[in-house]
Amino acid sequence: MERFELIVIGAGPAGLSAAIEAASCGMSVIVFDENTRPGGQLFKQIHKFFGSKEHKAKERGFNIGKNLLNEAEELGVRVELDSTVMGIFRNKEISVMKNDSVKHFKGNSIVIATGASENMVPFKGWTLPGVIGAGAAQTMMNIHGIKPGNRVLMVGSGNVGLVVGYQLIQAGCILEAIIDAAPRVGGYGVHAAKLARIGVPFYMSHTIKLAQGIDRVEGAIIVEVDKSWKPVSGSEKTLEVDTICIAVGLSPMSQLVRLAGCKTLDDPKKGGIVPLCNEYGETSISGIYAAGDVAGIEEASSAMIQGKIAGAAASKDQGYISEDEFKARQKKLENSLLQLREGMFGHKSTAQVTHTDEGYELSHSLLKKGYISDTELSHYPGIPTEDDLKDGLVPVIECTQNIPCNPCQDACPKGCIKVGDNITNLPSIETSVKCSGCGMCVVSCSGQAIFLVKQNHSPGYGLVSLPYEFSPLPDVGDIGYALDRLGNVVSKAEVISIKKTPVMDETAVLTMKVPSNLTMKARFFKPAMKEEKII
Amino acid sequence: MYRIKEHPILKSFQKGRLVKFEFDGNVMEGFEGEPISVALKANGVMVHRYTKKHSQPRGVFCSIGRCTDCVMIVDGQTNVRTCITPLAEGMKIETQYGVLNKR
Amino acid sequence: MSKIIGRALKKDDFVEMPDDHIIICRCEEITKGEIRRAIYEGMYTMNEIKRYLRVGMGLCQGQTCNKLVKAIVAKELGLDMKDIEIPIPRSPARPIAMKAYADDGYMR
Repeated sequence: MERFELIVIGAGPAGLSAAIEAASCGMSVIVFDENTRPGGQLFKQIHKFFGSKEHKAKERGFNIGKNLLNEAEELGVRVELDSTVMGIFRNKEISVMKNDSVKHFKGNSIVIATGASENMVPFKGWTLPGVIGAGAAQTMMNIHGIKPGNRVLMVGSGNVGLVVGYQLIQAGCILEAIIDAAPRVGGYGVHAAKLARIGVPFYMSHTIKLAQGIDRVEGAIIVEVDKSWKPVSGSEKTLEVDTICIAVGLSPMSQLVRLAGCKTLDDPKKGGIVPLCNEYGETSISGIYAAGDVAGIEEASSAMIQGKIAGAAASKDQGYISEDEFKARQKKLENSLLQLREGMFGHKSTAQVTHTDEGYELSHSLLKKGYISDTELSHYPGIPTEDDLKDGLVPVIECTQNIPCNPCQDACPKGCIKVGDNITNLPSIETSVKCSGCGMCVVSCSGQAIFLVKQNHSPGYGLVSLPYEFSPLPDVGDIGYALDRLGNVVSKAEVISIKKTPVMDETAVLTMKVPSNLTMKARFFKPAMKEEKII
Repeated sequence: MYRIKEHPILKSFQKGRLVKFEFDGNVMEGFEGEPISVALKANGVMVHRYTKKHSQPRGVFCSIGRCTDCVMIVDGQTNVRTCITPLAEGMKIETQYGVLNKR
Repeated sequence: MSKIIGRALKKDDFVEMPDDHIIICRCEEITKGEIRRAIYEGMYTMNEIKRYLRVGMGLCQGQTCNKLVKAIVAKELGLDMKDIEIPIPRSPARPIAMKAYADDGYMR
């Protein structure tokens, strides 16, 4: 039986971070993961992350994963893949299955970072091929380069549903609709808006009734539900889809925690059964820590910080760092973690928030249909006034919910954008400063909620610059359609410029020419089909 | 028709060489090393097995080796999780009926 | 943690529901109706239902259905979800070939 100072179970963001932190303190660390690839779910995350610079905001998940792996390798962390931990026994002994043989290991400390599993919703036909988890869709398209289907229904409007929905479109699928039994969109409004402006319909207070088909999904029937979650008869709609993607939340994967004998509690706010942990992630068994989703469902960014705290705590336990050094590290990490938990989607928040921290009323239309209505738009601090618009080029920041994120503030070289010290504040624009039109704010916004607008470019026409992440990238001079926030065609549009440099990390800034009176409406460019005549 | 040709963020996908394999007696092509389920999907195969009790069709569900819905008979071995088992040249893949290697 | 549940059998008769045919445990192909019926037959804890029907004893080990079964039990017995304990997990946490498990500890 081999012995290690620290055994980490799970090579996802939390586990790798714990291993890195402990190894950097000098500990001998081994990481076990049952998957063939390390990184947990990070390599499927192709969107830019939220947060601030220290949380690796505006970096894409898979790049964060690559960096974590490099760091672990440099520090000599041993990562054992295809290695399933079968049990945790007394005195921190574990059994691991690899290649059909079982081996035992012993750790002075153990970090359990097993992550989460997807929740499911049963309905008639949910066992048909073509009904898949949202994670499965991500694995297929973002790891293996295969579309899970051609026409997809997304069940669930949390961040997973919204983000995976967008990724499905990036992969070339048609997203027929997003439905959710809840009356309001569960995820970030900015994620919803990205889909709404491409024309994806949102059906809130809707559930799936059945999947049609004999040996594969050939359609789906959705139905409206009333306030007591009862289906409203006669409200059924049939959607022609070949794939139904389920994204109805995650549950902590806590079997090993329970096997180990750690005290647990069932906490709906954390997604289910989680270990009782102290502030360092230590469970009721001294020397066994839990970090990441297994300790409560959150984002990868928080999982990485929790992992670091657990890694540092284990290092302190075994004398690799002093109590003072640990306290210093922990305090910094704790602050960083608290920042991510701020805001209306944070850990402590309740679902029925009606106003932002600043007192702005939340957009009802955003929560109900995925886009901000024209009448609600002008309320927010990131939106220029009529007068501002007359002056020339201005940024328009359609960020209307308290999300922990601030890269836009640092992106502007001129200082036009202000978030302030509290990273969940809504960004405001400083219109007395002249916008240079560099577009860095547009690409820095992980929610793709920043646009540049010039109302008077040429007589009767103005310009709208928007973030664009689809293939093929249109060419300058291409004629297509301008779509408004709900995906309706409002006019024809001409691509005036395309800007894409390495620092923009694959988000292009597309500038289109539209009639002046539509510059505050047009928010997406839809290329015309080949041979299509645009009138 | 399911393979992503050009991805706006990921560009292209690293794949092994193109190899032939057999599915229920039909010769198909896929990339070496990719999960069997991906190669099958690219060939339009959705049904991986029929269940033991109700003979219901099942296919890929979780795609990460947890749910075991995608199991098939691979080179005579039953209950192989095709979503995490790499494709190799000449593999014989069969639809699984129930849990045993017989119909 | 878990509430003490009265062992008296449910007094009302089992009434079939329109969604009783829906599969809840995908691995063992067990329907909502079978689970509901088991509760009426006196299986009040998830451990009992598991042993009675094999719910959650398939290859995925309840990963998908534990929460779903819990919701059914909660509804039928009028309990809060958090007052119901899910079955006790045991090693091996994942499916393993008997041969491999039997070889545990064998030094080559």
